[in-house]
Parts: sequence; structure tokens; C-alpha cells
Amino acid sequence: MYWEPEIEQLPLARLQQLQLERLHKTIECAGRSPFYQQQFASGGVAVEQLRHIDDIRSLPFTTKDDLRSHFPYGFLADPKDGPVRLHCSSGTTGNPTVIFHNQHDLASWANLVARSLYCAGVRPTDVFQNICGYGLFTGGLGFQYGAEHLGALVIPAAAGNSRRQIKLMQDFATTAVHTIPSYLLRLHSVFTELGIDPRRDTDLRLFVIGAEPHSEGQRRRIEELFGVSAYNSYGLSEMNGPGVAFECQQQNGLHIWEDCFVVEIIDQETLEPLPDGEFGELVLTTLDRQAMPLLRYRTRDLTRILPEPCPCGRTHRRLDRITGRSDDMLILKGCNIFPMQIEKVLMRFAEVGSDYLIVVENRNGSDEMQIQVEVQKEWFTGNMEALENLSRKISHEVRDEILVTPAICLVEPGSLPKSEGKAVRVQDLRKPQESV
Amino acid sequence: MIAHQVSVFLENKPGRLEKITAVLKEQQLNIRAMTLSTSTAGWGILNLLADQPERACQVLTAAGHPAALREIVVVKMTDAPGTLHDMLLLLAKAGLNVQNAYGTVLGDQRSAILVIDVEDAESVQQIFSEAGVETLSTEQVYRI
Ligand SMILES: [Zn+2]
Repeated sequence: MYWEPEIEQLPLARLQQLQLERLHKTIECAGRSPFYQQQFASGGVAVEQLRHIDDIRSLPFTTKDDLRSHFPYGFLADPKDGPVRLHCSSGTTGNPTVIFHNQHDLASWANLVARSLYCAGVRPTDVFQNICGYGLFTGGLGFQYGAEHLGALVIPAAAGNSRRQIKLMQDFATTAVHTIPSYLLRLHSVFTELGIDPRRDTDLRLFVIGAEPHSEGQRRRIEELFGVSAYNSYGLSEMNGPGVAFECQQQNGLHIWEDCFVVEIIDQETLEPLPDGEFGELVLTTLDRQAMPLLRYRTRDLTRILPEPCPCGRTHRRLDRITGRSDDMLILKGCNIFPMQIEKVLMRFAEVGSDYLIVVENRNGSDEMQIQVEVQKEWFTGNMEALENLSRKISHEVRDEILVTPAICLVEPGSLPKSEGKAVRVQDLRKPQESV
Repeated sequence: MIAHQVSVFLENKPGRLEKITAVLKEQQLNIRAMTLSTSTAGWGILNLLADQPERACQVLTAAGHPAALREIVVVKMTDAPGTLHDMLLLLAKAGLNVQNAYGTVLGDQRSAILVIDVEDAESVQQIFSEAGVETLSTEQVYRI
């Protein structure tokens, strides 16, 4: 049941010892990059004074702005021992961020993805269809090499063309799929149009979903529609991509691979570390990357560490579901609101689809929220009154959750905007528009 | 037999109505009468009296529009004043809630009909027949 039994069950003390050893090496390696060289010179990092892994708190943070302002080569630690690949963010505003990998890094990454997939239940006998963008996006090649390393038969299906995806699933008897959750709900409607029942007419048994925050309700809906078990994946390109943290078969929190990452949760205001169990910003340090190590990188993802040990026996701690990215948080009438809170409520209503768009705008000096939700074809009865009651009910339940009363606007299925295949959840018209 | 209209969900945005009529035209489906009920929240329901409601509903759904068949009762209107009021009174007395009602003129250009959208078409038909109000048969409705 483990990909690497020894590492995955390593007792805490030994895991921390391993982290400390790897941290020393990582700092040494990082010191060869222009950015850290300069930072270490001005701040004076004494490696010998790091005697416990918690001493990592004496190091400064690295932020996304640092990555952007030192684009493209400022973080490259080992230009000689050749980087062999780069992955680049889309960078809708300002400089993109770029991450370099050498051969060691790629092998380590593939192993982490294999370990993650194995943890969720993927086996060498599986046919694994990877439905996501290849190219610069890390989900394509990341899962490709990871699932190959595990020994599964991998279909590099890439994104889009739902009919072809379904054909591939049928032709090669796909058993496992990786994709983003919002796409699965769209894919299901294509199954319905074609008169194919994924529960009956395919061999699908396991989904890996990630790259997009989603609620527990959305996961359960996906599992119900397809008759599969769906496991959450967490990753970010700055930390390779997929394979940072993954759910085990308990489906209760994501094991974060602590032999390869140092995990901290900090208070966003004070930047002080928070104890396990408390929500804050996730801060990660790479422990097994040579071409471009990152120290105390502020992910801007909000979550907490689940304090209890997991029944599966893995000693690596678990992250709770990501509540959202701190950039996604809306402040409206003095309330802090995450799109995920709204999604959680919408999932209770079968009459509306899973896509939604939150529009915030300032009308006559007052911030107003509108939520656009798609009417589900299957639940439409043509009754006007029923739809008006539904809108009111959704509005009330959302208000109970976020303390702000939104206007509910029903829209036609498939009419909400998508950006690079991912669902767009928030349009804040109070801010100057970013070009997407 | 109960006649049906097709009810389609649509957003109140330019071009949305044309998308629906284009689907029907492509399938050579005829629309006899049409009303649009709009909500204040930017959406509405389009009610269509079509010659082949089942097929119309099917093609609209396949084209991605939320569409449903709804039971209707169709009565011939006479010129006598107050007939509409009398009919609606009959329904109100029976506690039947009218969702929507719209009139149209028949092909012969002489008689008008009233399409009534109610939750329980069967009861309405019974009330009308007991009161001596003539309702149109399904065949008559679709061949208007
Ligand atoms: Zn576990």
C-alpha cells in the first residue's frame, strides 16, 4: 500500500533529522544563485546555527514578487550542472515566474508524483488518462512522467475535445483520470448528450482532481456522477507542480511529502508561525531541488495542518483542503469572503450547475455582490415561480454563510466564462481590470 | 389528451432569442404563438406553442437550452364581453393557480384562442367542460 514504505512511515524524529540534513544542503545550493547570494550576504545566514528544523524560521521569506523581479535567471543556482527543463507561469500581469529543473530534480519530481498517485490507489495495472494542458503548464508533463514512473499506461490526452476524451476512455478502457474538477462536470454533460453512462459504459474507477479549489460537495457530486472515487491533489509550479501533497484512501486531508518539503503555516498579518490545526498561509521550502531551490516560499494558499495522525500509517502530516488563495479573498462590507464558501452553498442545490461567477461592483458607493449560476437542463421545469423561489433560497443560504446578501442571477448552461480551461470564479469590477 | 407548450429558459441578452428560433428553424419546426415572461433578475422563460412540441423540446435541449414541456389548456375565445373574466373566476374558485396565459389569433384570422398554463391541466379541463366552456383537442391545438 506504500510506494516507498520506509520513507512514508519514517518516525517523526528521523523525518526531522532528514529534513535538517537536506536543508543544510539546500541552503548551500541556493547560495549559488544570484538572488540568495545577495540575500545571504546582506542578512548573514549561518548554516551551522540551524540545529533543528524549526530554526528555519530564522531565514527570510521568498515571495512571488521576488521570483518575478528576478526573472528569468536570478534564482538559477547551478547554471553549469545543466538545467534541462523549465516551466513558466502564464503571467497575466507583469513578469511571469519560471522554474528550472536539472535531471536530478525531474527524477525526484516524477518519484513524488508516483508516490502520490500510488497513495491515492493508482497501480501499474491502471490506464491513466491525463486530461490537462501539456506544455508550460506543470500538470501535463508532471503527471505524465509520474504515472509512467509508477508503471501505469499513460494516455497524454491533453485538454479539450470532450468527445475524443470519451472515445479514448472507451477505446483503451481508461481506469484512472487526472483533470480539473470543473472540467469533469462539463465532460459529464457530453456523456449525457452521447447517451453514454460513465458508470455503466466505462471502466473508470479513480479520479485525481486538483489545480482548482473546490468544495467537498463538488467532489461528492463528481464521484456520484461517474461512479468513481476522486482524490485531491495539491501542487504549485513553484514547488515543481503536482506531487506536493496528495490524499490517501482516507480522503481526509492531503499528505504533504515532508522528506522533500518543509511545511510551515504562518499568520498572514504577523508572519509568525502558527501551531498545527490553525488556519494560515502555507509556506514551503524545497529539500530536494538543485537547479532552483526555494527557501520559505510564501504560497499564498490558505490552509492548516491536520494535527491528528492518519489511519493510513503515513507519518507525513496532512494539509486540510485549500480554503483559497489569499489573492482570491474578497472584502465586502467589512466581511472576508472566499469563493469556496459560496461554492459550498451552491453545491447544496441540484437545480444549478457547478460553475458560477461572483461579480462584485460598486454601485452608488455601495459594494454589491452578484452570483451568476447556471440553470441545470435536467431540473428545468418551465415554472417561473419555482426559479424565482430558488434564487431567493440560494441568496438566503449564501447570506447565512458569508453575511452579505448577494443578488442571484440565473444564466444559461455553458455561458459562464472560462480562462485557459479553468473556470473563472470572481470578477471584481471595483479594481482596475487585469487583461486576461 | 393534454396539449403541451415548450418552455425555454433564456437570459435577457441580445441574440439569445434568435439562438432559439434558429434551432427551431433549422429543424423546420413551426411556432404558432410565443410569449416571454421576464424576471427582474435578467432572465426569462419563453413559452412556445409549436406544431411538434416534443420534438421542439428535444432539439432545444440537445442544443444546450434548458427546455421543458408544460401542460396547457386551450380555449376558444368568444366575442361576448366578460368571457375571459368568467373563465379565470372558475379557476380561481377551484383554487387553481394560473402560471401564465396568452392569447393568439387562429389561422382563419377570425377566432382567438387563449392558452392557459396551469400546474394541473386535467382538473382545468374538467372544470371547463362542466361549465360548458369549449376546450380545443390536442390535434386542434397543434394544427392551429
Ligand atoms: Zn493517510
